[in-house]
Amino acid sequence: MKTCIITGASQGIGRAAAIRMSRDPEVGNLVLIARSEDGLAATRDAMESDGKRIELVAFDLADLDAVPAMVKRVNEEFGSIDMLLNIAGYAEPAALLDTTTENIMTTFQVNVFALIVLTRECVKYMRHSASKILNVASTAGVTSRPGWLAYAASKAAVVSISNTLTDELAEYGIKVYSISPGRCATELRRKLAPEEDPSTIMQPEDVAEVIATLMRDDETCLDGQNLIVRQAPKAGR
Amino acid sequence: MRRGLMVLAGGVGERMGRPMPKQFILLAGKPIIAHVLDRVRDLPDITRIIVCPPEHVSLTEELLAHRNLADRFTCVVGGATRQESVYNGLSYFEGYDSVVIHEAVRPFVTTAEFQALIDDPAENAIYGSSIPFTVLVGHEYVEQTLDRSSLVNVQLPQKFDVARLRAAHEAARAEGRVFTEDASMLHHYGQGRVRILPGTANNIKITQPVDLVLGEAIYSEYVLGGASD
Repeated sequence: MKTCIITGASQGIGRAAAIRMSRDPEVGNLVLIARSEDGLAATRDAMESDGKRIELVAFDLADLDAVPAMVKRVNEEFGSIDMLLNIAGYAEPAALLDTTTENIMTTFQVNVFALIVLTRECVKYMRHSASKILNVASTAGVTSRPGWLAYAASKAAVVSISNTLTDELAEYGIKVYSISPGRCATELRRKLAPEEDPSTIMQPEDVAEVIATLMRDDETCLDGQNLIVRQAPKAGR
Repeated sequence: MRRGLMVLAGGVGERMGRPMPKQFILLAGKPIIAHVLDRVRDLPDITRIIVCPPEHVSLTEELLAHRNLADRFTCVVGGATRQESVYNGLSYFEGYDSVVIHEAVRPFVTTAEFQALIDDPAENAIYGSSIPFTVLVGHEYVEQTLDRSSLVNVQLPQKFDVARLRAAHEAARAEGRVFTEDASMLHHYGQGRVRILPGTANNIKITQPVDLVLGEAIYSEYVLGGASD
């Protein structure tokens, strides 16, 4: 039975991915990581837990020094780490002249540094064939986004990290995926585009379905590229 | 049977023109020695040591810790020369029957090739390949021709009976003789026959800058199976 770690699992795409992966018969253990205990509990309540172990880890990924011990404990408890879904994200939209150092640091701490450190620690235990890592970037990382400087730059970094790790980890049989969702109805999107009607755009469940497809054993061709995940506008709108 | 594996990591990098020892230079994104450690880390029933100069022990141990391999390898301090390093490494394998010797800068030996060497019934065995070019004896002038069909390009890894290899080293130390590798020494002192297993052209030793270029190509085609587009 496979063990799947999901970050940002208390809401949005992370929560939807956790719920979707709980329906995957090959996944026996799900480790959900987020800061919010209440959010994690709500995610667990929505999951299908028949015969599966679901562990909630209330953890602030900005605490980089604590990541190695947390991952070691997960590996010892479940015996392997087979999938890592790096979904946690942070956004504080601001124009260049309003972007504070703290904004830049926090954005990169969560979106980039924590992703690298968590991935590094997991790979120590993942080095066997058929392991998979998926990083959630953003279309903001590949196109110009005035007013979203720190967030867009951090997501560009996620695309780059994914490209590099695809080659660096190929020898171990670890596949690295990068997906860039477009407009998706999440809390984070609400911060980036508060005027938007979330019912008119792609839902987290749609992205979760893509993630589940990429995590399947028989998916072997879509790693090493940044996949844009978008939904065409509905007819008649 | 008690088996040991010794990775010689005493390079200083002079011929590479780099300030760092060549085993720590990145090849395909990771230190050259890490390629070797990845190949031998899962070999069953074998005790693994890395023989390195005292000034590289902490760096090597750090590299092991980063890869979660600290419990699989022990760093042993080597000597001033390759021969002394092997001798020091052998002292770690007191009571062992067989030892495999490899070099940290030969990154393209597969786990299967290590296992085939270990499983070969010969107590002393090496990998060797034919020499595809003409060689002569001479310096400023040609002094002697050689029949290349009778020559072997000596490669590592090599496997030896520990007692016989130790006896050869003791004899060499007593005579003050230096050998460039251990199969020659074992043969010279009549410590048993050394079987030659067919090696591959991929098993290059990273010695000069051009070897890094070749190594990148070998990694892409041989290790990754031509994965690059």
